[in-house]
Amino acid sequence: MIRRHGISALPIFFLVTFAFFCAVVPRFATAGNLEALMAGYAFIAIVAMGESFAILLRGVDLSVGAVMALAGMVAFDASLILHLPGYLSVALALVVATFAGVLNGLLIVFLRLQPFIATLATLAAYRGIVFAISGRQLVPGLSTTALDDPWIIGLETYFDVGATLGVESIAVPAIPLSFLLMIVLLVLFEVLLRSTRFGRDFYATGGNPEAARLAGIDLRRTVLIGYALSGFCAGVAALLLVARLTTSTEALGNGMELTAIAAAVIGGVRLNGGMGSMWGPVVGTFLLGVVLMGLTLFGISQFVQQILTGAVLLAAIAHSRWLQSRRLLPSAPEGS
Amino acid sequence: MSGLALLEGRALSKVYGLSTVLHPTDVVVVAGEVRGLVGSNGAGKSTLMKILTGAIAPTSGHILINGEIASPGRPLEMLRRGVACIYQHSNLVAEMSVLDNIYIGRQPTRRLGLIQRKLLREQAQALLARHGMDLDLDAHVSTLSTVRQKEVEILKALALDARVLLMDEPTAWLSVADVARLHSTIDGLRARGVGIIYVSHVLDEVFAICDTVTVMRDGSVVADQPIAQLDRARVIELMVGKTLATQALGEANGAARSAPAAGVPRLRCRALSKRGEFHEVSLDVHAGEILCLTGLVGSKRSELVQAIFGANRFDSGTIELEGVPVKFHSPRAAIASGVGFVTEDRHRDGLMLDLSIAENLVAATLGRYRRGLLLAGERIRATALRLITALNIQPPDFMKPVRLLSGGNQQKVLLGKWLDLQPRLLILDEPTVGVDIGAKAEIYGLLRAARDNGMAVLVVSSDLEEVMTIADRIAVMVAGRVVRTRETCETKIVDLVRDMGAVSA
Repeated sequence: MIRRHGISALPIFFLVTFAFFCAVVPRFATAGNLEALMAGYAFIAIVAMGESFAILLRGVDLSVGAVMALAGMVAFDASLILHLPGYLSVALALVVATFAGVLNGLLIVFLRLQPFIATLATLAAYRGIVFAISGRQLVPGLSTTALDDPWIIGLETYFDVGATLGVESIAVPAIPLSFLLMIVLLVLFEVLLRSTRFGRDFYATGGNPEAARLAGIDLRRTVLIGYALSGFCAGVAALLLVARLTTSTEALGNGMELTAIAAAVIGGVRLNGGMGSMWGPVVGTFLLGVVLMGLTLFGISQFVQQILTGAVLLAAIAHSRWLQSRRLLPSAPEGS
Repeated sequence: MSGLALLEGRALSKVYGLSTVLHPTDVVVVAGEVRGLVGSNGAGKSTLMKILTGAIAPTSGHILINGEIASPGRPLEMLRRGVACIYQHSNLVAEMSVLDNIYIGRQPTRRLGLIQRKLLREQAQALLARHGMDLDLDAHVSTLSTVRQKEVEILKALALDARVLLMDEPTAWLSVADVARLHSTIDGLRARGVGIIYVSHVLDEVFAICDTVTVMRDGSVVADQPIAQLDRARVIELMVGKTLATQALGEANGAARSAPAAGVPRLRCRALSKRGEFHEVSLDVHAGEILCLTGLVGSKRSELVQAIFGANRFDSGTIELEGVPVKFHSPRAAIASGVGFVTEDRHRDGLMLDLSIAENLVAATLGRYRRGLLLAGERIRATALRLITALNIQPPDFMKPVRLLSGGNQQKVLLGKWLDLQPRLLILDEPTVGVDIGAKAEIYGLLRAARDNGMAVLVVSSDLEEVMTIADRIAVMVAGRVVRTRETCETKIVDLVRDMGAVSA
C-alpha cells in the first residue's frame, strides 16, 4: 500500500484550523454555516479529485473550469431549448464532459503534447464552444429563464439528518446531496486507486513511466482514463453548481482550475506525480473553505482573502518540499 | 559449462543507415552460467543487450530461447518467455512498496479488478523463501538502499520466472560491501540454474563473479572464453588496444611524483568538523599532486569535499589555500578563488543535459566570454573546439546536446568544463562511475597532465583499482575520520582494505 508521507498531518491541521475559527469567530459554528460550507465546497472537492488524477500522472488539467462551463451549458441547452427530459440532459452533460477529458488525453497521448500545453489549448477551445452553443445568446429571453427540471434542480437537495434521527434539540446541519455525492465518489476513487490493478498501474505510470512501460502497462490507456475521469468530475461539479444557480452561464467555473490545483497540492498530491491520494484533495478543499469562510465572517476583505489563499498554497508546497528533501537524504547504508 | 543453452543469439547484427554498430555476433547463455560482457562504450554491448531484451529488432540473425526461435523486437514476448533485464538505472517506482513493485502491471485480480492482496503477499513470500532473500515487502522502495533496490529488481524478474537475467552495470552505484552482497545473490541464482549476462566496466567484478567472458570491440566479439583463461591485462588489451591499456593500468603511474612535495601546501585543512558528518579532518594537498580520498560509501567523503568547496557547511576547523585562510560560503566564492569541483552525479548536478557540448564546456567560465553585454560566440566556439580536441570528446560536434553522448564522453565534458577554469585546486567526486575503461584511461591521462602542470587534484573514489592507478597519496576515511594517509608507491590494495575495515574488496 502507498504509505503517504506526512499527509497524516493534514487532517490534524484541518481540525486545528476548524477549531480555531469555531473558538474565535462567534457565528462560525452554526448549522447554517456548516451547511453552506458543505454545499459550497463539495463540488469544488469533486473537481479537485478529478484534477488530482491528472497531477498523479505527472500532468495537469487546466481545462477543468472550461469543461464545467461546457457541461453546464449542455445541460442548460438540453433542458431549455431541446426540452429533453432531465435524466437525458444530465447524462448528456456528463458524456460531453467526459469526452472533453478524453480529448485532452488524446492530445497528450497521440500528439505527445505536454499536458500543460494541451489543456491550455482546450481551455480556450472549450470556452469558445460554450459561447458558440450558449442558449442564453441563441434564444432571446432564455437568459432570464430559470431551470426547473426536477432532475437537475433535484441535485440541490438537503437531507435533514437531525430530524430523521430525532435529535432536534441540538441544531444539526442538513447534509446537502452534493456532499453525499462527493463522499460516494471519494470512496469509489479511493478503492479504485488502492485496491485495483488499474489504481496500481496509475501510480506506477505517474511514479516512473519508464518502469511502467517496461512492465507492460498500457500508458496510453492509463493517461486517457485519467483525463477522462478529470473531465467526468468537472461535469458532475458543473451539474451541482447549475442546480444551485438554477441556470448556467458562459463564465461557469472560471478560475476553477487554480482552486482545484491548489486543493490538490494542499491535499498532498505531489506536483511531479506518482504520490497522493483522493481524500487529501478533499480535505484540502475544505481547509481552503474553512479558512475563506472564517475570514469572511471575521469581516476581512475579499482581496486579503485571496492573498491568504496564496499564502496557504505556498505553505503547503513548502511543507511538501521539506518532506521531500528530508526523504531524499541518503538512507543509512547497511553493514558499514 | 555443459548446461542447457537457455538463450542463444545467432549471427545477430544491427545496421543504422550506413553505419554498422553490430557485426554478425553469436552469443550463448547456458543454465547456471554467469557470462561477463565487457567492452568500451560504442563496442556494441548495449546494442546487443537491446536486441536480446527485444527493445530493438536485429537487422539480421535470430534469437533462440530454449532452442525455439523468438520473434525479434518484442520486449513483452521476451519477458514472458523468461528473459528479463535489470537496467543500470532503477526501473522501480520509488513511491510504491516493494510488493507493488514486484508485481507491477500484473497483479492477480478478482471481479471488478480488485487486487488479491493476500495471494500476492503469499506469492512474494514464497519467492523470497525460494531464493533465500530477505526483503521487507511493505517498505517503500525510496527508503531502501541502492543494493536493496537492486534486489527488488532481481526479485521482480524472478517473479516472472526469468531463466535468463541480463544485468547492465548492476554495481555502478554500489559500495564494496554491497557489491559483495549482490554477488552472493548472483551466486545463489547461478546455483539454481539461472543464466546471467553481466555487463560491467569494473573488471575486478567480472573476474570475481563470471564463469565466461565475451569481450566486444568496435561492434564485434573479439573473445569468448572461460574467464580462467584470461587475465586482467589481456582483457583490457582486447577491449581498447595496447596504447590505452597501459594508461589504464598502474604502470603509467610510474611518472608519479617521486619525492614528497615540500613547502606550503595548495590546500591545507586542519581539524574540520561537522556534527554527524566528519570529525577533526586534517588534509594537505600539494601543487602537482593527486590525493585520493577513499573509503566505504557512507564514510562522508562527499560531505567533506563539499564543505571545502563551500557547498556544505562545517562547524569548526580551518581551510587554507596556499597559506591564506579561506572559508567559502558558496561554490561561487570557491570558484572565484580557483577551486573546481567535478560532482559525483553528472546527470543530477553536473551537466545541463539538453544544452550543447559548447554551452556546457564554458558554463563555469562564461564571464570570460563577454563582449559588452553579449557573449562572444566565436570565442566560445574556439574554446569548445580546443577542449573537444584536447579531451578527445566523441563526436567532436560542439552543437550536440550532451544528453546524446555516452557516459564517458559526458564525463569528459564535465571535466573539460572545470579544466577550462584552470583551477588551482580541482576536486573530483567519483570521476569515473559508469565510464568505460577506454574513457577512464583518457580521464586518468588528463588528470595526470593537469597534475604535471602544477594543479592540485583531490579525488574522491571508492574504486580501489582506480585509487591505486592515479593517486600519489591516498587518504582513507572511515566514518567521518581520516584514519590513515599513505604514499601510493608503498601501498598495496590489501592495506587499504584493512584501513577501511572492509570485509571484502
